[in-house]
Formats: sequence, C-alpha cells, structure tokens
Amino acid sequence: MSATLRPYLAAVRKTLEAAFCLTDFNSQVVERHNKPEVEVRGNKELLLNPVVISRNDKERVLIESSINSVRISIAVKQADDIERILVHKFTRFLMMRADKFVILRRKPVSLSDTRSTILDEKTNPQQQPPTGYDISFLVTNIHTEYMNRFKIIDFIIHFMEEIDKEINEMKLAINARARITAEEFLKRF
Amino acid sequence: MILLEINNRTIEDILSYKISEVESNTKLELVDVTFADFDGVIFHISNLKDDKYKIRVSIALKFYKDLQEHGADDLLQREYGSLLQLPPEEGYNVTLLFDLKNLPENHQELVKKAGLLKRNCFASVFEKYFEFQEKGLEGNKRAVIHYREDETMYVEAKPDRVTVIFSTVFKDESDVIIGKVFMQEFKEGRKASHTAPHVLFCHKEPPMELQDTDALAGDKIGYITFVLFPRHTSKKSRDNTINLIHIFRDYLHYHIKCSKVYIHSRMRAKTSEFLKILNRARPERQTEKKTITGKTFVPTPYYPEISGTSNK
Amino acid sequence: MTQVNVFTSEPVPCHSFSPDRSKVAISPNNNEVHIFKKDNSKWLQETVLSQHDLRVTSIDWAQKTNKIVSCSADKNAYVWSLDNGVWKPTLVILRIHRAATVVRWSPNADKFAVGSGDRTISVCFFEEANDWWICKHIKKPIKSTVTCLDWHHNNILLACGSTDYRARIFSAYVKEVDSANPEPSEWSSKPTASTGNLIGEWTTGGGGWVHGVAFSPDGSKLAWVSHDSSISVVDAKKNQAFITVKTPDLPYLTLIWSSNRFIIAAGHDCCPMLYKYDENSGKLECLEKLDKSTKKETDGFSAMRKFRELDKFAISLNDNSSSDSISDTIHQNSIREIRAHSLSKSGGVDRISTVGLDGKMVFWDTSRYV
Repeated sequence: MSATLRPYLAAVRKTLEAAFCLTDFNSQVVERHNKPEVEVRGNKELLLNPVVISRNDKERVLIESSINSVRISIAVKQADDIERILVHKFTRFLMMRADKFVILRRKPVSLSDTRSTILDEKTNPQQQPPTGYDISFLVTNIHTEYMNRFKIIDFIIHFMEEIDKEINEMKLAINARARITAEEFLKRF
Repeated sequence: MILLEINNRTIEDILSYKISEVESNTKLELVDVTFADFDGVIFHISNLKDDKYKIRVSIALKFYKDLQEHGADDLLQREYGSLLQLPPEEGYNVTLLFDLKNLPENHQELVKKAGLLKRNCFASVFEKYFEFQEKGLEGNKRAVIHYREDETMYVEAKPDRVTVIFSTVFKDESDVIIGKVFMQEFKEGRKASHTAPHVLFCHKEPPMELQDTDALAGDKIGYITFVLFPRHTSKKSRDNTINLIHIFRDYLHYHIKCSKVYIHSRMRAKTSEFLKILNRARPERQTEKKTITGKTFVPTPYYPEISGTSNK
Repeated sequence: MTQVNVFTSEPVPCHSFSPDRSKVAISPNNNEVHIFKKDNSKWLQETVLSQHDLRVTSIDWAQKTNKIVSCSADKNAYVWSLDNGVWKPTLVILRIHRAATVVRWSPNADKFAVGSGDRTISVCFFEEANDWWICKHIKKPIKSTVTCLDWHHNNILLACGSTDYRARIFSAYVKEVDSANPEPSEWSSKPTASTGNLIGEWTTGGGGWVHGVAFSPDGSKLAWVSHDSSISVVDAKKNQAFITVKTPDLPYLTLIWSSNRFIIAAGHDCCPMLYKYDENSGKLECLEKLDKSTKKETDGFSAMRKFRELDKFAISLNDNSSSDSISDTIHQNSIREIRAHSLSKSGGVDRISTVGLDGKMVFWDTSRYV
C-alpha cells in the first residue's frame, strides 16, 4: 500500500463508521412511508453535512449521510483514455448487477441528487450533468440491521483498493496484447 | 492463435472430403453450402446442374469491380486457369469448377489454391502497384478499393516505395481508444524488426496524401499507412507481403475484440469476487429472508420498502 | 451477573416487562408484539398480538394496571388489556398522520404519551363516558419527529427528544385525569396545569438528533443522548445548568439512570457505558464499560482496536473464516433500548435489560452503581 493510500482509506473507514450509525425512521412527509432520507431529501434537519475525502484531484469519495441512510460515491482514478473507458465499462458492468449488490446504486449520483431541495418535476434526471463520481452505494438502516455494518465497510474499502488494481492490470493486459500483436505481425515481413 | 489464417478452411475441408469420398468410391451426396469470410465475402459451394461430381466454388465480393480495374481477372486466370468457369455463377463474381471425375494429379495443390481464392482476388491490385514501383513508373492513379462499407484501401506507387493506406471505422469509443493503443505499438514495432515496413497512424483526419480526396473524417475513423520498400515488393517477398497486408484490417479488429473479451471475463471474475466479500456481511439467517433489492418489494410487513412504490 | 437471552434472529427495537417480571413483550421488527413467559431459565413464546399492520415501533407495559400499549408506523396505538387470559385490543384515537414512534405510560398508568413523526406528542387518557382512549396534542415548538419520551415521577412532566436536535420538558397535565392543583415541581415555578406548556428546552448545539431522554429517579435531573456522540445532563437544582460530554464512542441511542448519580448509556457501539454525575460539582464523567468481555484490550479505547482488527480482515482476503462477530461485545449490533428490570429498596435500579438489533436481550447487574 502506498504512503498516501493508507491514510486515505483510514479516513474513509472512520468516516463510514460514524456515518453507518443509522436508525429506523418513518417519513415525516408521506404517511406510512419509510424512505432513505438521503435520497428523498425532504427534510433538511434529517441530513448531515456531506463529506468529501480526496486522495488527490482525481481520486475522492463523497459520503452523504442522513438519519436512516448513507450514500457513498467514489471517483476512481483515470489517468488516461484507456483507464477512463475501463472504469466506465467496469462500473457499468457492476451497476447492471445492482440487484445482487444490495447496496449498489444503479447510477452514480448526479447533481440533482445532491441538491438539498426537493426535485423539480420538470427537470429530467437523464439530463443532469454528472458530478464526477463513477459509482455510488446506498446503505439504509435495513442493511445495517440485517447485515454486519462493519463488514459492509470492509467491502467498500476492499472495493476501493481493488478497483484501482484491477483497472491497472486490465490496462497492462491490453498493452501486452497490443505489443505482441504488432511484433508478431511486423516480424513476418 | 495470434495470426489469422489467410486461406479459407471451409473450402479446403469440403473439397478434400469430396475428393476422399470419390477416392474411396462412396456414394456422393449433393452439396450446397453458403458461408461468409472477412470483409463481407460470401462463398457458395454447390453442384453444377445437380451433377454430384461437378463442384462449383463461387465467391462474391462487393468490391470486385474495384479489383477488376486492377487486373483481378488476369491474375485469377493465371492462378486457376482452366478451373475458372466463365461466366461465373449468377450473383457471384468468380466461380471455380472442379470435376471430381477428372482430377489432375496435383489435386491437393488445387484445393490449397481454392482456399486462397479471396486472397488471390485481393492480390491483383498489390501486384500491379508493386510492378509499377519496380519499374520506377510514377504518376499512376492511386488505386481505391472500397473493401468494406465506409472503409477503403488506397494503394499508390512511388519509384522508391509503395504506400498502402487503410481507412477503418471503429464501432464505438472504446474501440477507438483500444485501437490507438494497438496502433502505437505498430508504430513502435519497427524497433523490434528491422525488416518491417513503416507504419503510420492518423486518427479522425486522413493523412496528407489523401487530403484532396473524398476520404472521410470523423471521431471514429482511423487511417493506417504502410510504407512498403523495395525489399517488400521484390518478386521474392511479394507474395508474403500480400498475404500479410491484405488481412491487416481484420487482424487489427480481431485483436481489439479479443482484448475486449478478455476485459469482460476479468470483470466477470472480479464482480463475483466482490459479491463474495459483500456476502460476508450477511449472517446466515439472511439466506431465506433477505432479498432486498432496489427493484422488488418484499411484502413482509416489517420491511419498509426502499424503492419507489408505496406498500399500501 | 450478565445474562443473555435470545428470542429471535430479527432485530428487537423495543421491549417491556410485565409487573411481576415473569413476562416480556417484544417486537421482532415487524407488525407483531410477541409475549414471552419465563419458564425456569428459558423464555417461551406465549402470545402474539397482531393488530398493527406496519412495524411496531414501541411497547410499554403498565406496572400498576397490567395493560400493554403498543404503537406502530401505521399511525395507530392499541391498549391491550388481559380479559380472561386473552389480550383484547382497544384502538386509541391518536389524531396523527405520520408514524407513531414511541409510547410511554405515565407513572400512575392513568395516561400515556405517544411521540410521532407528525411533530406531535399525543397525551392519551381514558374517557369513561365513551369507553375509549382519546388524546390531547402537544405540538409547539416541536419541529421534527419525536424520537423518545420519559415521564417525571410526578405524573405531570414529560421529557421528549426529537430530531430537531432538542430535548424538552412539557407539562402533560390533563384536567380529566390530574388533580386540579398539581404541586409545583423543581423544574418550574410556573403553573403546570396546562397541557403542552413548555417547561424547558435544551440543545447541545452540535446538531445531533436526540435519541434518548431520561429523568433521574428523584426527578431533579434530565439526561439525554444525541447523535453527535454526546451525553448531557441538566440539573433543576442547579438553576437548570447543563453539562455536555462528547464521547469518543459512536452515538448512544438510549440511556437510564440507575440511581441519582449513575447513568447507563448504550447505542451504536454495542456496549453499555457507565457515567457518573456528581451533584455537588455538576461534573459528568465516563467511568467504565458494563460489558467486561472486552477486557482483552490492552491499549486505547474499543473503536481503535476494532478498527485495527477490521483492517486486518480486509487485507487477508483469502481468509474465509465466516466469523460474524463484529466485536467482542455481547451485543453484536446496536443497542436500541435499555429498561429497568428490578429496583432496589433505595429506589435505584439493580438490574437493567438491553435489547438490540442482533435480537438479544441482555440483563446487566447494576446493583453496584446505586
């Protein structure tokens, strides 16, 4: 682990430990409903201040907490075009399987999601500009009640570590293949 | 498999099989097979007028007209001679006819040749321009072969070299980016092999040589230039050069796709690993009850749903 | 001695004991109330009360009248009375339009209070004429969901905490029930004979949702815990001066006074903590953990060690040991509620019980802290 990665992950872990202190909370806005407050954003007093933890200008984590739910958005390192498409492909692949990853959001957060006011009906969420985060998780009190919340944190930290490694290895694999392909072809002339 | 085969296995297999059947006096069946090859090429193997001993091998290339301008007919006449059936089968550009009852001694060689039908169609244009170069002729019109829809090959001869330019279309953005990585390696590949031709790559804009033509420009278009020197175009190495260069476009795209397949399989493996790590957070009791997903609401009354629908 | 009881693998958000302590009512995080009866060392399920149609949020068993009151996210509360061995429900007209979050009988059990997401406390009492429970509302100045309630022993004052970061004391006087001239309390010289009169309001300023409030046995002190990991005490005898201690632990959710000097608080850290309030100096300090199973620890406080351990697990990825213990505490997930189980002669609490999201109910001996 590099010198900057360890404190970065430690900061994320500590923040998540505090953010994962969730309680069951029934909606104050709609009767007989129980919704993740960080998503519906109906009452300001139920939201905590969002926290951004940055390792550098490209890698950072946004943690938005509320009384019964937490949203964690991750910006993955993308140094060049190839890393950009690999991250895009991988996160898309994961998000298409969000059903299995119970805490995974189907889309990374967009600007409209992070506004503190209630969504205007007219704005089309499809057209919202991205916030620069590649993947988001949504953890609710139901997850922390029925799952081990410290292991959910382990998973998120593991995910952050592994995704960088995986992108790097995939990139190396493409480069290696390209080199062999070119050499094999050209040496036949 | 790193290099692609330039012959067509299917043709060879069918013909060899038929010949072996004739040799062992097995009763022949009618044959009627249509199949495809790279660059939109269609092959058709059938019997002539239901004669089980007369087998036709036909090829259809969308760009045969372009090749004809550069002496494809002559080259095929030279390669296949009496095997050529004229006129070709309806809807196809070239037809070879094999009479299984009167096979020459060197029939195995013929089968090999038949397998190279597509390559030989391509060869004419290269041979012609290699010839120009060798003779030091200049000022010939550049050959333009529309070998695929939206993709074109340009061949031009100078006294000291022949340039072959491929335009190719990358289907999506990731192909463009992976393609660039590959082309970078091709550019640098000369370091590994001193006999290799110069390779140049232009993205979006056509290279200088094609500035005055109708060559397309766009985000997903790339141009690859091979600069072939006399050592590649000499009579001795000519065939080898043609074998390699005519398949280059398919070779490049094949490996781009292979890379994507590899990435995909890695993602699949990693995803299932991630899932296992996440599952550690779920105690045993979850297996029966815990099916909270973003989509499906579990109608057990004590789960407040976390999706968009009300439970009452 | 600490005693662990496991009823269910479901989270248990609330529980309450029968007057003779032979039975306990819990909710297994669904729309039902389960009553368990103690049979030697085992708890056997006796009855299931299922009248609510959404998750039950709170249960209280009246010590004087043997009636149970339950409230739920379905906006309703029921009073259950035992009639020939069968629990009969009576619907309470709460007149609220959001989930009911917490319910508590008054000490005399002649009225009870229900907090709700409607930013309201309903003080309910029985109307003989119509044979049902009706209520009066306390609305102002509550600005968010009421999360917790506790009655003063005088049967009039009611403390509440809510997600608007404040702990408050109201007068829950109901003229139909209470005597015409209630005695003045140490909290206010103002007349308390008016429903909904705000007696006091406090905030730690840290912006934490208040999760739990509790009056001391003598009624002169109010303690509360909030989401900024703080525990606070306000002392009526000290001109309502208040002291707040920010703890290094994760936020507490619930608390109880075991005597006029000792407070036990518990929450997301899964371990009950003992606090001592010194009446003379007005100081509040953390004394120790009740959960001694964490003694292995050599340095630092538990979160630090926990963190280090978890870090280790995350690194050894190929280690498939499926131990799902998150910590070496008895409770394996957040503690949601502390109740007094048995009282000492001096009025202190000898034994407390805690329930948590791990489905356990644990008895803790607190006779030393009286």
